[in-house]
Amino acid sequence: MTRTATSTSSGLGRALVAVYGVFALAATARSLVQLATKAGEAPLAYVLSAVAALVYVAATLGLAEVGPSPRRLAWAAVGFELVGVLTVGTLTVLDPELFPDATVWSDYGAGYGWLPLVLPFVGIAWLWRTRARD
Amino acid sequence: MDGPLPLALLVASLLFAAVVLVYVVLDRTPDWGLLGFAAVIEAATLVLLVVAAVQVGDVDLSGGALVTLFGYLVAGLVLLPIGFVWSLAERSRGATAVLMVAGLAQAFVVVRVMQVWPS
Repeated sequence: MTRTATSTSSGLGRALVAVYGVFALAATARSLVQLATKAGEAPLAYVLSAVAALVYVAATLGLAEVGPSPRRLAWAAVGFELVGVLTVGTLTVLDPELFPDATVWSDYGAGYGWLPLVLPFVGIAWLWRTRARD
Repeated sequence: MDGPLPLALLVASLLFAAVVLVYVVLDRTPDWGLLGFAAVIEAATLVLLVVAAVQVGDVDLSGGALVTLFGYLVAGLVLLPIGFVWSLAERSRGATAVLMVAGLAQAFVVVRVMQVWPS
């Protein structure tokens, strides 16, 4: 018997979408302020902030089941998020000078209560649990 | 920012999140009481925005800090309404927990406003 995928935006997923939504809002706003007021100071960090913002927006939309293939979008965004937080986290711990201004993923998201590190794991676990299986 | 408003708003937001947690634990769906509580927080946030707009001329804030301050205040106005719309579309524990996320985010916004405002 084949079971179709269950909704990613229902039950626990609804709260998860809310958390991703808050991050999407916060990261987008922060990125816009950085790029508008001091783009020249730390270009790499600010570009990274913008990328992180896009990833959170994509994850929110995917998990909320907006768009043509939301599950694929959510997988891509959450996967990118995991790679991003691990890569940037490791780089900032090894070489704090690399990004003069903090990003969400600096020090594995320690500045945001480690949530940026925990969130992709929760997202992946949720997508895995709600997948279609046979 | 003068007066007890920011601190009161912070306490109210945290209290709101705590009350929602009780609702989630007891598996109760949001009711008019919860909506009324959120409406009070929403009104207080609007007052905070007006107070900030009135007093901002007297304090020394750079352009970036100014954008940040009002960005947070506007975010504080939209968090709870969006949270309620997203939460009330479904009746489940997870959907109720959305309001807890909104309450905690509201508290965070107030903390950031207090930090950005020069004392």
